[in-house]
Amino acid sequence: MSGDPYAALGLARTASEAEIKAAYRKIAKADHPDLNPDPAAAERFKAAARAYDLLKDPEQRRRFDAGEIDMQGQERPQRRSYREQAEAAGHPYARGYGFESDPDLSDVFADLFGRRGGPQGGGHDFHMRGQDYRFGLEVDFLTAARGGKTRISLPEGGDLEVAIPRGVRDGQTIRLRGKGGAGMGQGGAGDAYLTVSVAPHPDFRREGDDILVVLPIGLDEAVLGGKVAVPTIDGPVNMTIPKGASSGRRLRLRGRGINGGDQQVELRIVMPPKVDDELAAFFEEWRGRHGYDPRARPKAGG
Amino acid sequence: MVRYYSETEVITLIEDLSPPRLKAYLSARIVHPVTTPQGLGYRDADLARLQLLCDLSEAYDLPEDALQMVMSLVDQLNTARGDLRALMRAVSSEPDEVRRRIQACLRDERG
Repeated sequence: MSGDPYAALGLARTASEAEIKAAYRKIAKADHPDLNPDPAAAERFKAAARAYDLLKDPEQRRRFDAGEIDMQGQERPQRRSYREQAEAAGHPYARGYGFESDPDLSDVFADLFGRRGGPQGGGHDFHMRGQDYRFGLEVDFLTAARGGKTRISLPEGGDLEVAIPRGVRDGQTIRLRGKGGAGMGQGGAGDAYLTVSVAPHPDFRREGDDILVVLPIGLDEAVLGGKVAVPTIDGPVNMTIPKGASSGRRLRLRGRGINGGDQQVELRIVMPPKVDDELAAFFEEWRGRHGYDPRARPKAGG
Repeated sequence: MVRYYSETEVITLIEDLSPPRLKAYLSARIVHPVTTPQGLGYRDADLARLQLLCDLSEAYDLPEDALQMVMSLVDQLNTARGDLRALMRAVSSEPDEVRRRIQACLRDERG
C-alpha cells in the first residue's frame, strides 16, 4: 500500500476537511468488509480508514503535510471484523433466515443445523423465555435485619422496588420472578436474581439469628449495677446491669435478635476519662483492706 | 472463559464510540450485553458489532430503527453464510458420486 493518505482517499493535497470526510464515507459505503465480501474492497477500506484517521485531525494532517510524520505509527488498533465472528457457530447474534418456518424444508433444516436460539433469534413463531438478569445489591445492616424496601436501577433504564425479607443474610440471593428480560413470542419474561451483600454496622454484629452488641459501662455502673439504655435493631431498650459485672460478661435480651433470636450484650468497663485524686485516694485505702487477685484461677484439682 | 469488557473499556477500545452513542444503541436494543454483578459486560462479539455499528453510523447517518433493520439483515446473511460454509465443507468431504448427485440436483434447481 502506498504511504500517501491522500491517494488512499483519491484526493488532492488541497482537499478540504469536508472533502476528506466525504471521500472516506464514499469508500466506507462501497468497500466496508461487512458489506462487500471482495478482499480487494477490504484492502481499499483498510487503507482509507488509516488515511482518514490521520487526515481528520487537523494537527496530525499539518504534521504529515510538513513531513514531520508519515503513515507509519498510524496503524489502527486491530479492527474487529464482525463478519468473521458472526459467521461462527454459536454467535450470540445468530439469526434465523427463513427456513425455520418453511413448510417443506424446516425439518431438513432442523436436522442439519439444529435449533438456533440466540437471544435475538428471529422467525415468526419463535418463542423464547426472556433473559435472566443478575445484579449485586448492597443492603445496609438494619434493613437486612428488619426487612424493608429498596429500589434498584435496571440496565435498560427505569427502576424496580425490591422487598428485602427480614433477616436476609450476606450472600443470599433474592429471586424476582418475571423481572428479567422480556420473552419472545409466547416465551415468558426471565427472572432477576439479586445477590445481597450486607454492609457492616458500627455497633451491631450478627451471629446466626443473634445480634451481638458491645456495651460500654462506667466503673460505677460495674460496681453498683443499674439500668442502662442498650441499642437494639428495633430501637433502644432498658437493661439492668447486675452489681459487680466484669468486662466480657454477656447478658441476653431475649427475642431482640432476628426472627426470634436474642441480642447478646457484652459488657466492657470503660474508665473515667481522668483518674482524679479523689478516686485514686479512695482506691489506695480500699486496696489496703480489700485487695484481690483478678488473675487468680480456681485451683486445679490435687 | 468468556471475557467481559466494561462500558469504559468498550468506549476506550472503539474509537468512534461515544457514551451517548452507546446509550442509543442500548436503548434501541441493537446490542445486548450481558448483565454481570459488575454492571453490563460486553463480549468480543458485542465489540465487533459495536465497531460495525459505528462504521455504519458514520458512513450513512442512519437513525436507530434503520440501523436495527440493517443489522437484522446483516445477521441473517452472516448466519446463512456460516451455515452454507459448513454445508459446503460437509459436501466437499463426501465421495465423488454423492457430490455429483448434489451437483446435478443444484443445476436443475438453480440453472
